[in-house]
Amino acid sequence: MWVYEKKLLYPVEVKECNPKLARYIAEQYGGADGELAAALRYMNQRYTVPDKVIGVLNDIATEEFSHLEMLATMIYKLTKDATPEQLEEAGLGAHYVNHGHALFYENAGGVPFTTTYIQAKGDPIADLYEDIAAEEKARATYQWIIDISDDAWINDSLKFLRERENVHSLRFREAVEVLKDERDRKKIF
Amino acid sequence: MDATERRDMLKNVQQADFVVVELTLYTNTHPDDQEALTQWRLAIKEAARLRKLYEKHFGPLSLHSIPSEQAIDTGWRWNQAPWPWQM
Repeated sequence: MWVYEKKLLYPVEVKECNPKLARYIAEQYGGADGELAAALRYMNQRYTVPDKVIGVLNDIATEEFSHLEMLATMIYKLTKDATPEQLEEAGLGAHYVNHGHALFYENAGGVPFTTTYIQAKGDPIADLYEDIAAEEKARATYQWIIDISDDAWINDSLKFLRERENVHSLRFREAVEVLKDERDRKKIF
Repeated sequence: MDATERRDMLKNVQQADFVVVELTLYTNTHPDDQEALTQWRLAIKEAARLRKLYEKHFGPLSLHSIPSEQAIDTGWRWNQAPWPWQM
């Protein structure tokens, strides 16, 4: 089970309305390499991996949900005071017609989230390699958003998230080594 | 206490909790690193201390915390703004 914590993982400061930036951030909210995909992928894979790496998947999945909440906070605050005209100028006209000021799990191009973005192969090594790739793609996406954004406050939070992808990638790489060590030990005895 | 003080105290909780998150992830793949385990034990105490300090003034951060007398006196309710995305 999970218990809600009434706080963000890391502060999100939004100083001005910027629906265009919100639209770009949506790539990490409901995109193929985004936080929703990551959270759902790891949470679902954790049932069929060896005991030694369950914690890695469980705890990173949990952290991804807190990243999702940070992104939602950014998108919500960057768009809440935008007029329909401003949303349209930012390329969010179709979003407004379908969702008003609500958030939605979609990518920067407005394509809705789909579980076809993620996989569970039932082979721990194959799954962990997918997870490493996912973290690296997410890290790259954060970099592209930071490159295109001139909002220093948002960029501070995005840089935190980018660094987390690095740490998660490292933990998944270590998890692969843990499994390889275990496999090699079984061969010897 | 004003909004700035609240934000600062919450930031202390966020920082301390993050240390716990990070050390938990690390010890998942380094279960025999005694120094990290010691750091983890210290970090979780510090996080609990700062959480209690914040919650004393502003009420529970989760439904696992017991509301302080101060929170009860001031009429604290779980379903009370600001939520994290409103702060």
